[in-house]
Amino acid sequence: MIAFEHVGKRYGGRFEALAHLNFRVARGEMVFLTGHSGAGKSSLLRLVMRLERPTRGRIVVAGHDIATLHSSQVPFYRRQIGVVFQDHQLLFDRSIFHNIALPLEIQGMEPRESARRVRAALDKVGLLHREKALPIELSGGEQQRVGIARAVVNKPALLLADEPTGNLDPQLSADIMALFEDFNRIGTTVMVASHDLALIARLRHRILRLRDGRLVGDEGAR
Amino acid sequence: MSASRTGQTPLRGARSQRARLVSRLRAWGRHHRAMALDSLHRLVRYPLGNVLTMLAIAIALVLPAALWLTLDSARLLDAELTESATLTVYLANDVNVGQAQRIHEAVTAQPAVEQTRFITAEEGMAEFQHSLGLEDTLAGLETNPLPASIVIQPDDVAPAAMQTLAERLGKMVGVDEVRLDLAWIERLRHLADLGRRLALALGVLFGLGVLLVVGNTVRLSVESRRREIEVVMLIGATHAFVRRPFLYSGAWYGLGGGFLALVLLRLGGQWLALPVASLAESYGAAFSIPSLDVTGSTILLSCSTLLGWLGAWLAVTRHLASIKPG
Repeated sequence: MIAFEHVGKRYGGRFEALAHLNFRVARGEMVFLTGHSGAGKSSLLRLVMRLERPTRGRIVVAGHDIATLHSSQVPFYRRQIGVVFQDHQLLFDRSIFHNIALPLEIQGMEPRESARRVRAALDKVGLLHREKALPIELSGGEQQRVGIARAVVNKPALLLADEPTGNLDPQLSADIMALFEDFNRIGTTVMVASHDLALIARLRHRILRLRDGRLVGDEGAR
Repeated sequence: MSASRTGQTPLRGARSQRARLVSRLRAWGRHHRAMALDSLHRLVRYPLGNVLTMLAIAIALVLPAALWLTLDSARLLDAELTESATLTVYLANDVNVGQAQRIHEAVTAQPAVEQTRFITAEEGMAEFQHSLGLEDTLAGLETNPLPASIVIQPDDVAPAAMQTLAERLGKMVGVDEVRLDLAWIERLRHLADLGRRLALALGVLFGLGVLLVVGNTVRLSVESRRREIEVVMLIGATHAFVRRPFLYSGAWYGLGGGFLALVLLRLGGQWLALPVASLAESYGAAFSIPSLDVTGSTILLSCSTLLGWLGAWLAVTRHLASIKPG
C-alpha cells in the first residue's frame, strides 16, 4: 500500500527532516509511527498526503508514484486517503453532519446516498444523536471522533492519523485507538503517528520508530 | 460464443462509462446550483456592505453608458441634420428681379439639384428680422442690405458632391457667393467621433475599475474563509471546487451593480428630460433623452456580470496560489 524507497526530505536546503527511509506497508496492515517530537512523524505523513514532495527517493502509494503526480491530480489522490488531524480541522460554522458530508460533497455524491453514508459513519463513532450540533458544542474527544468519521466516510483504502490522541485522557485515547482497529479489521490500511508509547505497546501492531528523521526500529512486522 | 462475449463487454463498459459521465455532470450541476444559492445567501446576509460594493460597480458603469447613450442619440440627430443639409446661393446686389428669375431657373435645371426655394431680398429681410427679434432696430435702415438668395437642397448630400456643386454654382453670372453649411456638420461628426472614442476609453477604464472593486471584495472574502479553503483542499477539493462560490459571488456583484446602473441611468434620464426637451425645442430639433432598450439593458447586464465573474476569477486564482493546506 505504501512504499518508501531511499526517501529524504530537506527543508530550506540544510535541515534534514527525513533521511534514507526504506519501508513498505502492506494492504490491510495497521502500523504505528512513533518517535519523540521532531523525529519526523508529521513530515512523513505530510509526504504520504502529498502535502510535500520528497527531496530524494520515491514514494508509491496505492500504485501512484506520488512524487511525479501532477498537481491537478493531487485532489483526486487525496480523496483516496482518509486523514485524521491532531487539531481535527473541522469547520466551525457548520454542523457535525455537514462537516462529515464535506468529502462526499467534494466528490459530488448524490445527497441521499451521501446522507446515508454520513449517518453510517456517525453511528460508527457513536455520535448519531449529535448530527445537528456544531463542533464547538462537542468535547475534545467527540470532536476527534467527528474528525475520524469525516476521514472514513468515503471508505478510503488508507487511513492516516497524526497524533489523534494528543490531547485526550488515557481512556478516550484507548477508545479512539479501538476505533482505528475496527476500521483496520474491515480491511482499511491504517497508519497512526503517536508518541503515546505505553498505549501503542499494548495494542500489538507493527511499530515504526523514527529518531532524527531516520528509521531506527521496525518491530512486530508481519 | 466467445466472440459474442467480447462483443458485449466493451458495450457494457461504454454504457457504464456514459452513466458515470451523466452522474458526474449531475453532481457538477448540483454543486453549481448549491454554490450559486450559497453565495447569494451570503450576499443577502450582509446587505449594506454588499449593496455599497454594487453601487460602486454601478457608478463605474453609469458614466460610460450614459456617454454612449448620448452619442447614440447624437447620431440620430446627425442623420436628421444631413437630410436638411443645404446650399445657399446669394445673388449679387445689382441683379434685378428678371435676372434673378432666370438665375433661379438655371440653378433649378442643374442635374445635382433636388429642390430649390427662391427668397427675395424683402423676404430675406423679414426672415432675418423675425429670427433675431430685431424688427425695430432694422426697421430704421433705409435700404435693404440683404441680397436675394436661393436655398438648394442637393440630390447628393455627401460633402464632396456638395462642394463640387457649390463650385459650379459659384461660377454662374450674377451669383455673388455660395454658402455651404457643411462645416458645422463636419465638426459635429468629428465631435461625435471623439466622444465615441472617449466613451470607449472610459468604458475600458471603468471596466477595469469594476474588476478591481470585485477583485478586492472577493480577495477579502477569500481571506476570511481561508481556513475553510485549507480544510477542503486537505480532503481533496480541486481548485475549481474552491473557486466556484467566489465566482458566483463575483457574478452576483456584477449583476446587482448592472441593475443599479440601469436604475441610475433611468433616474438621471428623467431628471434631465425636461431641460433637454426645452433646449431641443429652442433649436427646433426633435431630440429627447435616450433610454436603454431591452437589447441595451441586456448587453449592460451581461457585461457587468461577466466583469464581476472575471474580477472574482482573477482574485481567487491569484490568492489560491498562496494558500497551501496543512
